[in-house]
Amino acid sequence: MGPILYRWHFDLPIVLMAIGLLYLYYKLTGFRWPRKSVLFILAMLLFLLVTCSPPHYLGMHYYLSAHMIGHILLLLICGPLMVFSLPEQPQTLRRFSSFLSKRAWLAWMTGVGIMWFWHIPSIFNHMMSDMPGLAVMPLLQAASLLFAGILFGWPLFGPYPEDRVHPLSGIIYLAAACISCSLMGLLITFAPLDTYYPFAGIKRMDNLWGISPKEDLQTAGLIMWVPCCLLYLGGCLLLLRRWLTGDDRRRNKHIIAVSN
Amino acid sequence: MRDIVLVPEPEESLPGMTVSNNQGLLQWISSVDHKQIGILYLWLSVLFLLVGGIEVLLVRIQLFVPNSHFMGPEMYDQLFTMHGTTMIFFVLTPAIFGFATYFVPLMVGANDMAFPRLNAFSFWATFFGGCLLYFSFLAGGAPDAGWFNYAPLNQYNYSSSQGIDYYCTGLLFSGIGTVTASVNFVVTILCYRVKTMRLQQLPLFVWMILINSFLVLAAFPSLNAALAMLLLDRQLHAHFFSAVSGGSAILWQHLFWLFGHPEVYILILPVFGIFSEVFPVFSRKPIFGYGMVVGSGIAIALLAFGVWVHHMFATGLGNTVNSFFAASSLLIGIPTGVKIFNWLATMHGGKIRFSVSMLFAIAFLIEFTIGGLSGISFAIVPIDWQLTDTYYVVAHLHFVFIGGSLFGLFSGLFYWLPKISGRLPDERLSKWFFWLFVIGFNLTFLVQHALGAMGMPRRVYTYPNLPGWTILNQVSTVGGFLMAAAVGLLLYVLVKTALVGKPAPRDPWDANTLEWTTASPPSLKNFDRVIPVRSTRPFRDYKRPGDVDYKEEPDRGHMEDPNEGRPEAPGTPVRAAASPAGEKNRDYSLMIKLVVGTEAMFFVCLIMAYVYFSFVPGYTAQSGSLDIKSTGMFSILLFSSSFTYWLAEKNYGSGNFRALKGWLLATIALGATFLFGQGREYAHLLHDQVNIGSSLFGTGFFTLTGFHGLHVLVGLVIIMIITGLSFRGDYADRRSSVIRTVGVYWHFVDLVWLFVFLVVYVSPHIFK
Repeated sequence: MGPILYRWHFDLPIVLMAIGLLYLYYKLTGFRWPRKSVLFILAMLLFLLVTCSPPHYLGMHYYLSAHMIGHILLLLICGPLMVFSLPEQPQTLRRFSSFLSKRAWLAWMTGVGIMWFWHIPSIFNHMMSDMPGLAVMPLLQAASLLFAGILFGWPLFGPYPEDRVHPLSGIIYLAAACISCSLMGLLITFAPLDTYYPFAGIKRMDNLWGISPKEDLQTAGLIMWVPCCLLYLGGCLLLLRRWLTGDDRRRNKHIIAVSN
Repeated sequence: MRDIVLVPEPEESLPGMTVSNNQGLLQWISSVDHKQIGILYLWLSVLFLLVGGIEVLLVRIQLFVPNSHFMGPEMYDQLFTMHGTTMIFFVLTPAIFGFATYFVPLMVGANDMAFPRLNAFSFWATFFGGCLLYFSFLAGGAPDAGWFNYAPLNQYNYSSSQGIDYYCTGLLFSGIGTVTASVNFVVTILCYRVKTMRLQQLPLFVWMILINSFLVLAAFPSLNAALAMLLLDRQLHAHFFSAVSGGSAILWQHLFWLFGHPEVYILILPVFGIFSEVFPVFSRKPIFGYGMVVGSGIAIALLAFGVWVHHMFATGLGNTVNSFFAASSLLIGIPTGVKIFNWLATMHGGKIRFSVSMLFAIAFLIEFTIGGLSGISFAIVPIDWQLTDTYYVVAHLHFVFIGGSLFGLFSGLFYWLPKISGRLPDERLSKWFFWLFVIGFNLTFLVQHALGAMGMPRRVYTYPNLPGWTILNQVSTVGGFLMAAAVGLLLYVLVKTALVGKPAPRDPWDANTLEWTTASPPSLKNFDRVIPVRSTRPFRDYKRPGDVDYKEEPDRGHMEDPNEGRPEAPGTPVRAAASPAGEKNRDYSLMIKLVVGTEAMFFVCLIMAYVYFSFVPGYTAQSGSLDIKSTGMFSILLFSSSFTYWLAEKNYGSGNFRALKGWLLATIALGATFLFGQGREYAHLLHDQVNIGSSLFGTGFFTLTGFHGLHVLVGLVIIMIITGLSFRGDYADRRSSVIRTVGVYWHFVDLVWLFVFLVVYVSPHIFK
């Protein structure tokens, strides 16, 4: 365990990206730090954790399951957290938001599609073997998952209440994504060992925790399958709570009253 | 322009006849009234309860003594298989759908379901599915591989009689009834509520039916896929489930349990809804935690798809897989527990009336908890390894099915019987029924926990004389006969009620929801006007205006309150011709999206099976023999047909009918060309001896593309019909939703082909 803990590597492009996003957020809030910015900072910290920390090292060199956890964190936690943290109705994002609100299916396809895209074996393996060179591909993967997460969460939790889908439609939206995620997890769990071959050849000497490649592959698929489901369920329950307590309506009324 | 009235409500009679609710057998058979269809479902359920009960009484007689020769293993296998299949698909399901069909429209203030004729179709499909299943007795033997019918036992070489084919076709047919009924429920609940009822005020029974319907739409396709594959294996010697030719016996288990686990929630969620009505009424208190009941229902529905592997712990999938599903199976107990606490809290501090309905509800709390505990114990994998396929499982499933679902149905029966029949049942006899049944039930199944722990396996036609086994089996058999006596008493009570019961008032229980505002039984047209709905207990608010559930909101006038100033709203009319175009489109639009959604799940199952097989070495090599170029060209034609259809829709919207007809014809031409291309591909493959039975690849390829082609064919037939109708001038009013509805289906079919093409033709080339 010793050496692993020291394997932090802060790639410059990644750090620059995190700083850039933070700056953009700061600008969006009008150069203030409202309470919600805690969520954004949390998202950035998670992002750095996923891309620069020892677990990342684990994920790149040893265990597909560690890599998987990173993916899930980016797509389903960091992205939505960033959406949650956005201030109420920022002007600069108005047009983007109304564009997306008429095309919620686009947001859904982005979130779901990016997941399937990166798991196509030839693409995934290509990305892994690109590693020794530039850090472009992993950066691309991390960034794309982050932005897909933002888009995916936008119709559900975006900063403009009138651009959000009806909470019950949001539940169907998440349920369909959950099914897709579970299917992918299922396929990975039962896939042949050499599907993601960079991980199939973990050398016995380097094998830290005695996890065989087969177990690793199964675990990766299962993490996508079961715990991921719980994340989607959490989102559904959040939507349900918001709908039942009439949060949106009250907020809408307040806005209408204020603008009157 | 013709007025389209789908449910003729008799106001004038034919000469020589009178208009009445009771027009004899023919009226029942041809009825599209949801109340009559509900009653038909309930009688179907009672009929099959008797049949399934007799089957299991014979089984219990056989098990009365060790080494019994009362019947041989072949008969025994058929009896227990039919018992299980009957009880689940033809007793519990129709009873639940019967209550839902009867009461969902009433509870939301509608005059009928969204699609009355589809409603009738759903019932008759279920009925004929049951007839088909039972015909197997006359056709060489009933299915005998257990109600879950595992591979390879279900293959043609191990089960050569036709029983299993009847199992497949019977269940496919009745499954279609179940799915169409669910589509009907969703559209009714979302589009046909009385205008004053917001979704947050929906009665909990209706909520549970809504959630349940989505569960049905998502789960049944998996069963349909499995049954279709099995029929192909048995009849055309495909290779889906035969390991010897590269297929996978465990694929059957995956597909079956992907359906099977949600199925048990399908059977219990509506019952949770019934209890959520019964407890508040008989405790004279509102339900505790309305939001939690709804939320936990949604949680159960979503989690239902993440636990099915717990039926397969003993199949050797490995510790990794097992542990994840052990965890998720433990988790799914939580939302159910939440509901139990909600009901207990509802009772707490209430003024409880021990009607028979409430007795069953209280008994449910105990029995279902016992069943739930034995179920949770199975989530612990080593316990499952010890106890799976023993009588412990039998005890568990009967405690949840009978102690849960059936008690709920009995509770609902005694709650709603006055409304349905217009007569009050004999209270004393009903209580005798309750106690007799509960005692019999517990006698039968409590001891089976011990029997299972002592090692007696299930589905064995007899057992050796081991210590303790005989006496426990005998106790169980005696209990079974007590249950039979109780059911006999129930029948007597029902018949007596129908014939000489005291007339029931409109509202015998002082209840809360809209169905009690109608007469007992309700007139053919449920509502002329509906009382205003401002809370989840609208009738109670109406009866006690000084003690209402809702808070007067001062600025409520600003919200969309279509009834502002009017105290009552009309009951939602049944597809009246004068309804505005927007409303007309909404329900058809929702309906087709639901149908497309469930068909999408079906294709997902087929594609998953295909991809699963592609992991077998050599599978994708064979797909190299496919002609990707010409199929690619035909695919482009198919996608263009989507574009031409879209143009047809646009021209319809702008009133250009010549263009509409032209583009429709173009769509047909393109679609037909695609089918021709498919036919060509098939001919080439068949010429090369590649067919559905020749290899695993042939199996996968022909099934997937074949089902898609079937969908294309159906789509083309429908488009041809509407083209013909448009030539006749049917759509001249530009208000019809038919063109757009069919368009959704057609675009879906083309989208599916995109995925099929990518998976079957393209992916072997890029996954090198």
